[in-house]
Amino acid sequence: MKRNAMINIFASMCLLALSGIANGAETLPDSDILSGTSIYTQQSRSYILALNEKNVVFAQADTPSTTVMDSLSTQQPEFEPPFFSGSNAHKYMGLATVALVGLTAITAPDDDDEGPTPSTTSRTQGTHQSLGRAAAVMAAATVTSGLWTHWDDFHIEDGFADPDNLHVMLGALGALAMMNAVSTAPGDGHPGSGMLGGAAMAVAIKLTW
Amino acid sequence: MSTIFKVARLFAGLLAGMILLSALPAIAEESFTGWLLNIERTKEVKPVANEHYQSECSDCHFAYQPGLLPEASWRKLLNVDALRDHFGDNAELDDETLAEVVKYAVENSADKSWHKRSRKIARSTKENAPTRISGVHYIKRAHQDIPEKMIKGNNDVKSLSYCDKCHTQAIKGVFDADTVLIPNYPDWED
Repeated sequence: MKRNAMINIFASMCLLALSGIANGAETLPDSDILSGTSIYTQQSRSYILALNEKNVVFAQADTPSTTVMDSLSTQQPEFEPPFFSGSNAHKYMGLATVALVGLTAITAPDDDDEGPTPSTTSRTQGTHQSLGRAAAVMAAATVTSGLWTHWDDFHIEDGFADPDNLHVMLGALGALAMMNAVSTAPGDGHPGSGMLGGAAMAVAIKLTW
Repeated sequence: MSTIFKVARLFAGLLAGMILLSALPAIAEESFTGWLLNIERTKEVKPVANEHYQSECSDCHFAYQPGLLPEASWRKLLNVDALRDHFGDNAELDDETLAEVVKYAVENSADKSWHKRSRKIARSTKENAPTRISGVHYIKRAHQDIPEKMIKGNNDVKSLSYCDKCHTQAIKGVFDADTVLIPNYPDWED
């Protein structure tokens, strides 16, 4: 039991660290580490400001060979989307949730599943339990990160059938079903609840994939 | 014994998945079944994949993907009369080229696409068929929080019509916030 608690704490810390990194990468003000974009901005701002001056633009009309914009375009590095963003973190957490639900289902002990020794049976149940809890925690983190990063994609006025609205509803329903499965385990209804949660989450992902 | 069966089931599932995946490229996207079985991302707008459409449109402006407007809008825009006065310019095409461009635009319009952003545009234009992409309610709403100085007041952007000025992956049909770089406003999200 202590081992499971440790695993859960470790998983939570990993999620917190991931969220922190994602949030930090997006909100870090004036970092000393220059990204490609900020280098571009620093190098080009003076040219752009110059371009905004009418007389400078008129002066350039007489120099057709190499314009300021030509030189600017050679300096501009290609924009590369951030590898790690809140949106990406949400995506990977959603996929991880579905994977964890799948693993939880695979490791579910059968009713007549008696291991060679009592300790084997208990280990199987322990793995299933840990994976189930991890899936529920991951589902909750996914919903939270989705609300954090995509809150402006959700508009009630767009109606029930809007893909983003369906995504939010199914994702939240899936997370609740998974939490219900964990809290009612090992009761009879918990496998159905867990699988419903996983299916809802998978459909939610597909709708906006 | 039961563990062996579980592992066998897992491998059978993986094998079935791999066979299915290998067949996916052959599945057309623009149908419900195609969309359902397609694992490639379709959250954005389908990129332009017609040479004539691309070249004729991009002669003068960014070749807007057909999935950015519904069929009714394309029919209003792409006809002989409308092209004579295409937002103030003459953009007439010969009959054969026009027929191909119209066919491509209509077949890939927002209301025929299963790409998510196109579906949202189609839902947003059910009541009307704007001839300007910047007139689509969904697109207007997505940009409403961006200060005017960053678009109209920005000499390097000037209008919402110039999608590719800020959406760096617009040519690939990607218009999400992660790929936006507003000229002169690198920290636009702040």
